[in-house]
Amino acid sequence: MQNKTFRNLFMLPYALWIIIFVIAPILLVVYFSFFDINGNFSLTNYKNFFTATYLQMTLNSFWYAFLITVISLLIAYPTAYILTRTKHKQLWLLLIIVPSWINLLLKAYAFIGIFGTHGAANRFLEWAGIGSRQLLFTDFSFVFVAVYIFIPFMILPIFNALDKLNPSLLYAASDLGASKWTTFRRVIFPLTLDGVKSGCQVVFIPALSLFMLTRLIAGNRVITLGTAIEQQFLVTQNWGMGATIAVFLIIIMVGFMALTSIRRRGV
Amino acid sequence: MAKKPIIQFNHVMKQFDDDAPVLDHVSFEIEKGKFYTLLGPSGCGKTTILRLIAGFTEATSGDILFEGKKINHVPANKRPINTVFQDYALFPHLNVYENVAFGLRIKKVKKADMDAKVKEALSFVNLKGYENREITDMSGGQKQRVAIARAIVNEPAIILLDEPLSALDLKLRYQMQYELRELQRRLGITFIFVTHDQEEALAMSDEIFVLNKGKIQQSGTPNDIYDEPINRFVADFIGESNIIRATMIQDFLVEFAGKQFECVDQGMDPNEAVEIVIRPEDMEITSVEQGSIRVTVQAQLFRGVHYEITCMDDTGNEWLVQSTKKATIGEEIGLRFTPEDIHVMRLNESEEDFDRRLDAYSEDENDAK
Ligand SMILES: Nc1ncnc2c1ncn2[C@@H]1O[C@H](COP(=O)(O)OP(=O)(O)OP(=O)(O)O)[C@@H](O)[C@H]1O
Ligand SMILES: [Mg+2]
Repeated sequence: MQNKTFRNLFMLPYALWIIIFVIAPILLVVYFSFFDINGNFSLTNYKNFFTATYLQMTLNSFWYAFLITVISLLIAYPTAYILTRTKHKQLWLLLIIVPSWINLLLKAYAFIGIFGTHGAANRFLEWAGIGSRQLLFTDFSFVFVAVYIFIPFMILPIFNALDKLNPSLLYAASDLGASKWTTFRRVIFPLTLDGVKSGCQVVFIPALSLFMLTRLIAGNRVITLGTAIEQQFLVTQNWGMGATIAVFLIIIMVGFMALTSIRRRGV
Repeated sequence: MAKKPIIQFNHVMKQFDDDAPVLDHVSFEIEKGKFYTLLGPSGCGKTTILRLIAGFTEATSGDILFEGKKINHVPANKRPINTVFQDYALFPHLNVYENVAFGLRIKKVKKADMDAKVKEALSFVNLKGYENREITDMSGGQKQRVAIARAIVNEPAIILLDEPLSALDLKLRYQMQYELRELQRRLGITFIFVTHDQEEALAMSDEIFVLNKGKIQQSGTPNDIYDEPINRFVADFIGESNIIRATMIQDFLVEFAGKQFECVDQGMDPNEAVEIVIRPEDMEITSVEQGSIRVTVQAQLFRGVHYEITCMDDTGNEWLVQSTKKATIGEEIGLRFTPEDIHVMRLNESEEDFDRRLDAYSEDENDAK
């Protein structure tokens, strides 16, 4: 009995933390979403969300987040694989992680410099004989920079999963006749799937709500749900609509989490 | 002798970086259908030999032949050899059926054939009906049997087993020793088994290779190795033994513990310094007058079946005796042994010289007849 009260006492700070910083804000967001721009209780925001503009925006967000996640994965998996095979793997890993400590805004501005009309990228294109072109404010630069920013978060869980893999399993596969590719398909990939899933979660979910990059790098050509929320709160001052979009964003995120955390047996 | 060896090592060397070689000019032949054991202390290179046969690593120099063909550079997945790993290396994301079927799926065996083969392999290892179990839900002994089933289902020419019993408790271990030996007889597949447990090696093998520091010290049947160890290392490693410094006065006469004894060995130089081995179970406790040597009892341990008695002779040699009779500590007793119980070993004799010497006197015997 006493043990239990004791344990509950220890739980208190965490419970408080979660109530104040997680549950309360979500409830507030839900609460705000039921008020229209004039402060009247209504469902107009929800009705508005199901109009072409917002659905298009949702689709857009999905598409870019998907693109960013897939490209990150395609680059991160081989990188993590090679990393686990190098001699000083922890050092190499650290070098890849370090850029993620730099402020996002700084990195964004650095890319504006690189992709600008007179930036390094264009000078290289000129030198290569391709000629300079508009790089900044394109879909390409947006996805490129987003992938650059998210990639360490994709590499880390995949690296950990690969590093944990028992090497004798790979010998066993080859012993049983598997080629390198079959070993990858039948053993390495299934056993590192959990790492891939957590990598996709930490990339896809923030990518859904990216907003700073859309303005700085994509020049507002790419409008995602994140941008829309920012606009509603700061520009239009329609908190209700902003909150409604946030509610949908939360629903989508929870759905994605649930989808990717279905655990496989035995792993 | 006409039988072609299935595996042959010719002066195989294996070296990592600039360290001392892990395997130093290892040569041996493995015949089809027999049960071989690699026996040696930790770090002597047993696993390295298995990895070379399986194809997980390449020799620094020397040739490895499979049925007479050099296979040094043939990758593991192209060799008709399967391994039972020390840690089993079962795939945790697959169930028992899929683990066993792994090799068959790669060979694209038809579903019906595969079902039949997996079933047969599992019943071979007494795991009928465990097809749908998860690997994580199996006990250590069961996992090991799945690992064996996964190897035999491919019908390889050779199965390599790397200390597969070391993780099991004593009882299960004895049971598995019987089962493995029985399995090998039924299947007729060549087994190469690694252990550092001498009892296990003696109980299971047709032939044993005793290894130390990357060299084969001696090879032969369990009886050969037990009765005629080539040197101190083998004598000491295989069973309990009394190893005593001695002098070979002449053929059939050896001196130790201050006395001369008749023996059955020959072919050494006169007055050559040698070592003799007498197994503790070969000696008999008698009265001082009847004994071959006189010793004082120093310690005694009850081992269940017998007493293990430690004695000291007048010249300071320690003698270990196994006896069903109890002794009294401090008492003077006699130890009796016959010329056949004494085995003389030359210092630093190589296996070739040893064999040559033994051959030489079996020829003498033939001539005499
Ligand atoms: N990849 C490697 N790099 C460097 N040294 C190695 C490597 N693999 C094995 N060795 C060395 O080779 C020697 C023999 O190793 P091996 O694994 O064959 O021993 P073993 O006889 O199987 O021992 P155990 O009974 O402990 O399993 C050891 O000294 C080990 O340190
Ligand atoms: Mg080993």
